[in-house]
Amino acid sequence: MDETETPADAPAGEAAVSSVKITKSFALPGAVFCVAGGKEPSQLYFGCSDFSIYRVDSDAEKPEPKPVSDGKHASYVTGLVRSGDTLVSGSYDGSLIWWDAEAGDVRHRVDSAHEKWIRRLAISPDGSTVASVGDDMKTRVWNARTADSIATWDGYQLMTPHGYPSMLYAVTFSRDGKWLATGNRTGKVIIRDAATGRVEATLETPVMYTWDPKARRHSIGGIRSLAFSSDSKLLAVGGMGQVGNIDHLGGVSRIEVFDWQSGKQKFEIEDTKFKGLVEQLQFGPDDEWLVAAGGDNGGFISVYDGAAGTLLAQEKAPMHVFDFQLSEDGSKLRAVGFEQASVVDIA
Amino acid sequence: MSDPAEVEHRRRAKRDLSRRGFLTTTAAGTTAMAADMGQINALQSEAVTKQLKQQGTRVILLWLAGGASQFETWDPKPGAKTGGPFQAIPTSANGVHISELLPELAQRMQHTAIIRSLNTKIADHGGGASLMETGRVRDPGLDFPDLGAVVARELGRLNSSVPDYVSLYTSTEGRRKGTSGVLGARYAPMFLSDNMIPLNLAQLESVTTVDHKDRAALRDVFAKKFSKNRNSAAVDSHMSAYQRVRGLMASEQLFNVENEPAEVRARYGPTQFGEQCLIARRLVEAGVPFVKVARAWWDSHGQNFETHQELCADLDHSMSVLLDDLSERGLLENTLVLTLGEFGRTPRINASLGRDHFANAWSCSLSGHGIRGGVAYGKTDPEGNTVVDGEASSADLFATVLQALGIDHEHEYMVGSRPIPMADFGASPISDVLA
Repeated sequence: MDETETPADAPAGEAAVSSVKITKSFALPGAVFCVAGGKEPSQLYFGCSDFSIYRVDSDAEKPEPKPVSDGKHASYVTGLVRSGDTLVSGSYDGSLIWWDAEAGDVRHRVDSAHEKWIRRLAISPDGSTVASVGDDMKTRVWNARTADSIATWDGYQLMTPHGYPSMLYAVTFSRDGKWLATGNRTGKVIIRDAATGRVEATLETPVMYTWDPKARRHSIGGIRSLAFSSDSKLLAVGGMGQVGNIDHLGGVSRIEVFDWQSGKQKFEIEDTKFKGLVEQLQFGPDDEWLVAAGGDNGGFISVYDGAAGTLLAQEKAPMHVFDFQLSEDGSKLRAVGFEQASVVDIA
Repeated sequence: MSDPAEVEHRRRAKRDLSRRGFLTTTAAGTTAMAADMGQINALQSEAVTKQLKQQGTRVILLWLAGGASQFETWDPKPGAKTGGPFQAIPTSANGVHISELLPELAQRMQHTAIIRSLNTKIADHGGGASLMETGRVRDPGLDFPDLGAVVARELGRLNSSVPDYVSLYTSTEGRRKGTSGVLGARYAPMFLSDNMIPLNLAQLESVTTVDHKDRAALRDVFAKKFSKNRNSAAVDSHMSAYQRVRGLMASEQLFNVENEPAEVRARYGPTQFGEQCLIARRLVEAGVPFVKVARAWWDSHGQNFETHQELCADLDHSMSVLLDDLSERGLLENTLVLTLGEFGRTPRINASLGRDHFANAWSCSLSGHGIRGGVAYGKTDPEGNTVVDGEASSADLFATVLQALGIDHEHEYMVGSRPIPMADFGASPISDVLA
């Protein structure tokens, strides 16, 4: 930790963001774990705990989510990406489905894409490939149009060091599409060459994983979110700090930012005001700031300085946030979560 | 008028003496009795066989401390708003489905009956645990013994060379020692919380084994001489206490799983719960009537599904191996395995993806001795909010367990002048799950 630059060391200067303000919230039909943007910025697609995929115009006066299709997954929908007019969804049922985003028809289906729960999907910046991660601890890469399997990569233990099933939660592409990062329950990050699968670096964030050896004898936590900076040099890793009572999401929300190629941790953030998991992360334009969202029984949206981790602005969310879409200019964030969605202005 | 406690003591001493006499004439030691019921069955009258069978009966309680979710174990509701993400899977029992988190147990459902209709109402940890341990709501004027103490008293032997009631509770959260209540310290559990091998049982290093045996023999000589013309419960009790101490000292090795072959240990797996299930098997095999293995902590207010992915994997494997091991050794027909906690969990999934405390419609399981396997008794509504068929109370469950063990649940303990039935007033055994 000697190499860590703490928020207190951050240089003073004009803040890139001074305000995070929720302008609208509306009801969702269940817990919503994933969101993909539509062709219009206000249009959202999302995957829900009722096993369905919906679309909604978030700018409508009274947003009303509508199912994309009569078809469903057989469990929670936990990953959703869009490539042109195709949506790709992943579920705890282990399947991936390619949908016509407008008509709702199923274009392709892979029933056993993963042997266990699919946790998240990521789409390459050029829209050509989809990456999926699941609790079989595999990372798989798919053709976003044809559903052909391109690659399958291992690299994680199936079991935790304490003898229980591990989980592979997070995946993201770098903005140039060159790198693919994944993160698991015990705090291990693998960064690969997205084209070849070659492992370029591994990072360890053990604080994200709490094992309680005495009082409750199980674990909680894990890496829940990953984000590259726009120049791909930095990698932000989100989760939760160590937890005393693991019955609850009682740990501080935690982010570690790495210069991943050197393995050096640039800084870490622990937010004691809003506890719980950091479920999603993204650097803003020019990497001046980093937005994080998540929660426990409640939720938060926080913006930090991208170079030093200083808190710039934050807002209590009306729900635990599981995912969000950030507009290209970084001025608007559309968050989804537990039974609600919010539209947020960042200024 | 005789003291009721002394009368009861004499009754039990006489019963045990008659058994000892019988066993001597058949050249079968008490340990051998447990090991080879079939041989004894072939030799004896129906009445004696029944008595012996009861004496050979054991209970293993797998205590899911903190409250496991019925949705993620025995009463899945896939597709319901409350159902969570897991699927239901078929089992070896026709028409019975359980959570996909229990695939190994699903293949062994022929040994197991599920009760899906517990409505026990008390949803705080302490009150719920007390209720499920004793089968009745706390009565400030009555310190009622828990199930382990009742079984220890009813199925244990006065001259037992092994403990009657062993309780393993390693985690600290929700730890409860158990209580023998009005039955007294004689039936209190040997409680192991830190070391799985009891402390202070080993023979002192300063005393050689020869000296130890010689001292015991000398004490026996004096004791027999002293008790020759005395017919006293106090003397019997004193003698019994010495025998028990000697037996307990000898039982130390029962707790040491390193005495098991490596392949057996590997079969139970790497987790502490698995190891403790192996200890439980060793104990019941040696004749311990009641063993409680607590697996904490299921209190999943946050991240319920991931907590159950971890803990159900542990339960599924450890309990399955335990059932197999008991069955292969011919012990399952004499051993009742009861699996439950203090309550279940809410249908409502909260924002932390957790489930909270819920006691109005939840489940437990019973396997092995006295149980009709392959049965799912009772029913909850499609979202699991209420019991719609076969509602059962903690007292009903208590009565069911006692009935399965061949113990009259209406038998009364005299507490002073107050008769207290073993299962609470109004309790009714659930005959559908009984063999």
